[in-house]
Amino acid sequence: MSYPLVAGAFLALAAGAGLLLARRAGAALSWPAVALAGAALILLTAVFDSLMIAAGLFSYAPDLVAGPRIGLAPIEDFAYPIAAVLALPALWALLTRPGGASMGRLLRHAWVASRPVSWVNTAFPFAAAMLLTTREIDWLLVVGTIYYLVPYNLAMYGINDVFDYPSDVRNPRKGGIEGALLPPEYHRPMVWLAAATNAPFLLILLVSGDALSAAAIALSTFALVAYSAPGLRFKERPLLDSITSSTHFVSPALVGLALAGARFDSGLVLVLLAFFVWGLAAHAFGAVQDILPDREAGIGSIATVIGARRTVRLALLLWIAAGAIMLAVPWPGPLAALVALPYLLNCLPYANVSDADSARTNRAWRRFILLNYFSGFLVTLTMILFWSISS
Amino acid sequence: MLLLDWRFRLFFWRDAAAAALVTLAGTAFLLLWDAAGIAAGIFLHGASAIATGVMLGPEMPLEEPVFLVFLVLCTMVLYTGAARLLSRRARRRPKAGSGS
Repeated sequence: MSYPLVAGAFLALAAGAGLLLARRAGAALSWPAVALAGAALILLTAVFDSLMIAAGLFSYAPDLVAGPRIGLAPIEDFAYPIAAVLALPALWALLTRPGGASMGRLLRHAWVASRPVSWVNTAFPFAAAMLLTTREIDWLLVVGTIYYLVPYNLAMYGINDVFDYPSDVRNPRKGGIEGALLPPEYHRPMVWLAAATNAPFLLILLVSGDALSAAAIALSTFALVAYSAPGLRFKERPLLDSITSSTHFVSPALVGLALAGARFDSGLVLVLLAFFVWGLAAHAFGAVQDILPDREAGIGSIATVIGARRTVRLALLLWIAAGAIMLAVPWPGPLAALVALPYLLNCLPYANVSDADSARTNRAWRRFILLNYFSGFLVTLTMILFWSISS
Repeated sequence: MLLLDWRFRLFFWRDAAAAALVTLAGTAFLLLWDAAGIAAGIFLHGASAIATGVMLGPEMPLEEPVFLVFLVLCTMVLYTGAARLLSRRARRRPKAGSGS
């Protein structure tokens, strides 16, 4: 691909986005100011680009540029300032327009909505899977880890908070580490913020991988949206809710493995299966505490359908199953089976809990959030052992 | 540029959150652009004596994202500054016309 083609495509993209944003920003955008700033930027580009090229900071493949130069700068370089001035002031005008949502408050809501205590739960599976396969930290691992640390969680929990508003309003435990209570005027901006922060990362991961990693990314993104978005609402379809939730945590590992070109032998498949079963249990147990507010809001979950007692018992069985599967994994995999024990102990006292008493399980759920850090530590030690044995 | 921003409260000193979002979005877009150029083999990193030599990826030196942030900052300070000047002039003119 030649430079005029690349520059033209990105310039068109920026101009298109700029026009769309400008239409929504309306009078908040000053076109004469855009023209003035654009003229100044083009002048600055001609001067500083030439200086930087003269200093030998970078050069261009000679047969891929169009030819005409202004100063020393190829004419395509001017697409950068033109794209910037067409798109960015329009975005700024939209974000700061009088009467619009305050971006400061949106970012604070986004911070709470993305559940910072849970960030590591999705970033770790990705980073660990990729690192254990490639055995090196390259730029793709860094970009992917940043994605699964913040934007991914913002999309997952942000979308959830927007469309769960009717239930969350009735739930006394919302508004802290377990989720935000998002005011309605921030619903649309939140969905936009989630889309805008996810798109560039997904694009990079997609073009950096192959068909398998693309399929894993598609699965992961679909699960993200399908869980709570209207129309699909998998979180209201018993069993599908637990499956989708578990996919949220296992799919980052799948993406990491696929991007790294891992060989999916039986040991690896068993580890992924155990992780998935563990995730099923975690979600089912987490749903128990919300039975009453969910029913009141007309929202269904695995726990509202089969009841508190049976859901807790199912979770216990699934945690036992996850541990049992790990016993079948080659050494040092069986060590990780021990991780199931604290979860069983944490959950066991509620094996007979009634629907009316289901909110009591919140105490165990709070312990569960802490337990995850402890388990993460144990799993990491097992992985380091695996690393030293297999290298 | 930041000094101008601070002195006239144009961008970060007017709405830090919105400015951060614009800077992030702009830099991410321009980085993707660069990456496409690098992938197509158009941009070649020079081994200049004044470069840091720290590489973030193939043909992507540490200076590049810094430069892109600067480009976004320049664009926004120029735009918000121009908008401020133009609106001030527009406000002054009708007053002069009415003779008050």
